Amino acid sequence: MKISLTDIVMQYPGTRALDAVSANFRTDEVHGLIGENGAGKSTLMSVLSGSQRPTSGQISLNGRELALRSPRDAMLNGIALVSQEGSLVSSLSGAENIMLGEEPRHAGSVIRRNHLNQQAAKLLETWFPGIGIDLGAQVGSLPMADQKVIEIVRALRGDVRLLILDEPTATLPSREKERLWSIIRSLPQRGVGVVLISHFLSEIFALSNRITVLRDGRHVGTLNASDVSEDHLVDLMLRRTGGQTSDEQVTTRDALGTEVLAVTNWRVGRIAIPAFTLRAGEIVGLIGLTGSGHFGFARSLHNPAGVLSGTIAINGKPASLGGPRDMQRSGIALVPDHRMENALIGEWDLRENLSMVHPEHGSRGLGILSMTKENAETARIFKLLNVKAHSPRQLLSSLSGGNKQKISIGKWLYGARDRYRVMVFIEPTEGVDIGAKKEIYAEMRRLAATGMGIIIASSDLLEIEQVTDRVIPFVAGKPGAEITRNDFSEAAFIAAMSGGSQ
Amino acid sequence: MTVSGTVQQNDDRIFGVIRKEWIQKYSTLVALVLIFLVFSITVNRFLTPLNLLNIMQQISMLTIVGAGLTFGFAAREMDLSVGYTVGLAGILVPLLLTWGVPLPIAVLGGLGAGLVVGAVNAALVTLVGVPSLIATLAVGSIIFGINYLVTGGRAIYGSLPAEYLWLGQGRVFGIPVLAFFMFGCVAVAWFIMERTIFGRYVYAVGGNQKAAELSGVNVRLYRAAAMVVCSLFAVIAGTLLAARLGSGQPNAGENYLLDGLATVFIGMTMLRPGTATILGTLLGALFIGIINNGLNLMGMDTYIQSIVKGIIILVAVAIVSRTTKLKLL
Repeated sequence: MKISLTDIVMQYPGTRALDAVSANFRTDEVHGLIGENGAGKSTLMSVLSGSQRPTSGQISLNGRELALRSPRDAMLNGIALVSQEGSLVSSLSGAENIMLGEEPRHAGSVIRRNHLNQQAAKLLETWFPGIGIDLGAQVGSLPMADQKVIEIVRALRGDVRLLILDEPTATLPSREKERLWSIIRSLPQRGVGVVLISHFLSEIFALSNRITVLRDGRHVGTLNASDVSEDHLVDLMLRRTGGQTSDEQVTTRDALGTEVLAVTNWRVGRIAIPAFTLRAGEIVGLIGLTGSGHFGFARSLHNPAGVLSGTIAINGKPASLGGPRDMQRSGIALVPDHRMENALIGEWDLRENLSMVHPEHGSRGLGILSMTKENAETARIFKLLNVKAHSPRQLLSSLSGGNKQKISIGKWLYGARDRYRVMVFIEPTEGVDIGAKKEIYAEMRRLAATGMGIIIASSDLLEIEQVTDRVIPFVAGKPGAEITRNDFSEAAFIAAMSGGSQ
Repeated sequence: MTVSGTVQQNDDRIFGVIRKEWIQKYSTLVALVLIFLVFSITVNRFLTPLNLLNIMQQISMLTIVGAGLTFGFAAREMDLSVGYTVGLAGILVPLLLTWGVPLPIAVLGGLGAGLVVGAVNAALVTLVGVPSLIATLAVGSIIFGINYLVTGGRAIYGSLPAEYLWLGQGRVFGIPVLAFFMFGCVAVAWFIMERTIFGRYVYAVGGNQKAAELSGVNVRLYRAAAMVVCSLFAVIAGTLLAARLGSGQPNAGENYLLDGLATVFIGMTMLRPGTATILGTLLGALFIGIINNGLNLMGMDTYIQSIVKGIIILVAVAIVSRTTKLKLL
């Protein structure tokens, strides 16, 4: 049996999430689906599982065209999705979860508990003989791997021929992974094909027969797992198509200033950084595949709540680890990713948003705000960052992505431009148009020139290449050998991110 | 998936948005004016200077309670104990006065009680981590019990000083003293919310807690402070209420919870839709006051008033929930 997707297009306002993607999946294989965040994996799978209808394109089963209007439609055609977050009711037992919505009932509406337990046990035994999961226990109390198995069994309840697993091991401790792997491997032998989405390339290699790579909503290749190397895959995932080149180069400064940041023996979750330093005037890029720890490290510098151990010195002075407030006082600022969740308030006007970090600069004292001072300060930021807005009282939500990001940066420059010693940017130009990107890069350079140290954690390699002085690649939670400006190239970045050293 | 780029905007769309915003902002105000006009025309004795002053007097305590609740709502915290807190001050202050405690000290005692209630609420919410809806419900029950234990369920009468009664019953240039208190409290609350860093941070905590935290705002402190302010306004209202009634009644504050919430919800439908604002709450109190007064003059049963009020609250909350992303829990 073969399920084919042909020329699937998914058009959202302003962006094309899938651009004529074609792929086919078989019931006798595990098919790895990979790509960076935003490449279109989840969108493609939501089309295949019936939860989204594509703008155009066909889905066919053994050559017969399917119209999947809902997840139920997909299910009736033998396609089921097990999502990343999980969909179990943690207060119910494993058996109850497996039979959820199809509980055997007495004539009335009373559930036949014995039947339910028997049927669930039988399903589990049929699919995974001898697995030994306690179906009577509350699901919430079971190991994560067992919970995944229960979800998979529930998905297999109907006549399922193709099972989509979205990051099935993302929440699993490593010792439980192996178990789930053997279960996933066994499915094609039972006539159930698997589409596996995973950020872990090792997992993709260990399980898949074929691998499909998406990038920027396009299909860039389907390969046999046996004749492709990990480096080659990473290359496919990341290499940008021709046309774009880095047009602006940073003038390398030979005289860097004093050390503004020194971190030693830093451990956050799985991330471990033996030593990291940043000098005044320097712009350092952190790169890595999703989940490799570069974002986590960047975030932990401003909000060390999850830091297990480590010391940090800012401007030569050791700082104690506290919350964001303490780190700010010590001189670290953060311009986070997902600005609408982490940095801004959509219903507020621009003046209020800009004042969030340092409202005292719009005050004449005693904590009383002066509208005149606030407006003047807001106007200054507008001019400094070239924010396109007609009034300080305009609602933030009315701005474009680029202008919103400028407000997110402007918050830290409100009142004084050189208050911070270190500024950390995470995905600084996500959803930002080209023009605003250039302005943001220019401001980063100007800030560095004032003696600030700047860290950029980004998945945009072009950005990293254009703006930074040196780059630290992260692989599996650890920083690799640093790459200096002279050795910058996309190939070098990609090789470093995949951990390859050839 | 990052969604970038702007949606094409033509003039039609922009005007559509403006019209929608305008309707959102001012429809409640229009309704208020309409109700006022209808009562003026149909109800005898409604549109007289005496009655209008009367309305002002009637809504003053409600407005003060509502102003306090507005702080809580701004920080996205609910206080269900306000009604009993009003009652607590309404008992404590007269009780102290009958013991011969001087008026200023008795009033400070009432404020102190508010501080304690607010601190307990705040500690439960920010330190223990109980959702404010539940914490204040439980605290309210405790205060209710205390109110009845202390008074034995009876009103506190007796020799209340004339200056105290003047606060609730007196007039200056024909205007009730209570109205001065109301406008004073509203002015102070407005100033704090709109013109101080404190107010800005209270709004920030309620507007986007994550963003506030990552901007270095002490989220816990401002959530706690908003709850304390809420209790303080409630005891001010309670102190004035007993002065107006001329006695301390254990059950006197109980209506103020629902009515107080109603003023805030109605206020949230206008000015800055979805956000609790002091001026919105003032208008909300006016709304409730006019309806109560008009129905009273029409000779409507208080039970019918209760039904009308329930419907108004539902409509207001429905408007707020549908047009904005109202989240209280």
